[in-house]
Amino acid sequence: MNPSLKLILALIISLEITFTTHLVGNLIIIGAALVDLAWHRVSPTKVVKLLLVTLVPAAALFTTLAFFSPDHDAFFATVLVSRLYCYVTVGAAVTLTTPKLALIRSLEQNCHLPSKFAYGFLAALNLVPRIHQAVITIRTAGEMRGVTLHWWSPTLYFKAILNAINWADQLAQAMETHGFVEGAPRTAAQTIPLQRKDWYWWGTALVLVQLILIALP
Amino acid sequence: MRKATFHLRDIILLALIAIIFGVIYYAAAFVYNGLTVLLTPIGYGPVANDITMGIWCMAGPLAGFLLRLPGASFLGEFLGAAVEMFLGDQWGAANLLSGVVQGVGTELGFTVTGYRVYNWLTVILTSITTTLVTFAWDWFRNGYSHFAPTMLIVMLVVRFLSMLVFSGILVKLIVNLLVRAHAIKG
Repeated sequence: MNPSLKLILALIISLEITFTTHLVGNLIIIGAALVDLAWHRVSPTKVVKLLLVTLVPAAALFTTLAFFSPDHDAFFATVLVSRLYCYVTVGAAVTLTTPKLALIRSLEQNCHLPSKFAYGFLAALNLVPRIHQAVITIRTAGEMRGVTLHWWSPTLYFKAILNAINWADQLAQAMETHGFVEGAPRTAAQTIPLQRKDWYWWGTALVLVQLILIALP
Repeated sequence: MRKATFHLRDIILLALIAIIFGVIYYAAAFVYNGLTVLLTPIGYGPVANDITMGIWCMAGPLAGFLLRLPGASFLGEFLGAAVEMFLGDQWGAANLLSGVVQGVGTELGFTVTGYRVYNWLTVILTSITTTLVTFAWDWFRNGYSHFAPTMLIVMLVVRFLSMLVFSGILVKLIVNLLVRAHAIKG
């Protein structure tokens, strides 16, 4: 499916399950998302890891609702746990099956996201390893002076943000010298197709979700 | 007002800041999990979320103070959520929904002052609006209507304190350092 449509579908599902309490519906959605992940040959260890990490908030929510809340509602607690897993599996069905670049390109080409957002965001995303390194450098530099910078130290953020201001200036300048003009019409080297087939799939999935959430308990 | 819209540089800067926060408080996820495990046996597991909530909402107020534009705070918080999604944290696309909610929460604090006041009053206002908006969202998301009333009060108070300390006071201290270094306007 077209990356943007997939993302929008996931957002609609996540929003809908937030305001409904259907256990069976949630379970079917989780199953469908897992099937989709398997279909795209996402590594099972990755999926299992995601499910395990979610156990912590899920267990907290369940114990509080089932044992410590006034009505000891184990059913409602189960619904909420299934809801958490819905968010995780549906989210993973988008992020683990779609390359970042394809999603951002699709948002720009199919959803008309202004190119300054698409490319500005991409430019920043490509700096992740350098930011990681910069944070380590700042911390090490601090330790060499006998100062430990914790994650709650304003100085750590201050130094990192000074770096970010420099990088943002340089990147924006670099992009502009390479001919990037905000709001100018652009051609795309790689087009992300948005076909009738995508819309059919999307529409079918959306209708199915409505049926599942309305008809099932 | 400096300029009316966001330019390429602003967008890159906001995204970079979101990434920096992501990298630094990757550690906070462990704090959250640890606290949850500790608090669950006594029935206060969900409070861990409120304790760390202020940490997740830092990018928004900082962006608001940094760019001083309508929408800056919202965009900072939303881009932060988008970065989290792209870096592959467990909530995936649902991050964008939380991003919108938290973004609206932090933005409202600046809106109330008409984007004219940028001092400690703004800090308190954003803390209040973010607490209320995110709490309302969690009310539906995590089924708060089934929680005991005392628990809800504890959660609301803890969440406000967390907001005040992390996305309020800590952010203001960072901003003060930046102002003193003449990196941004005071």
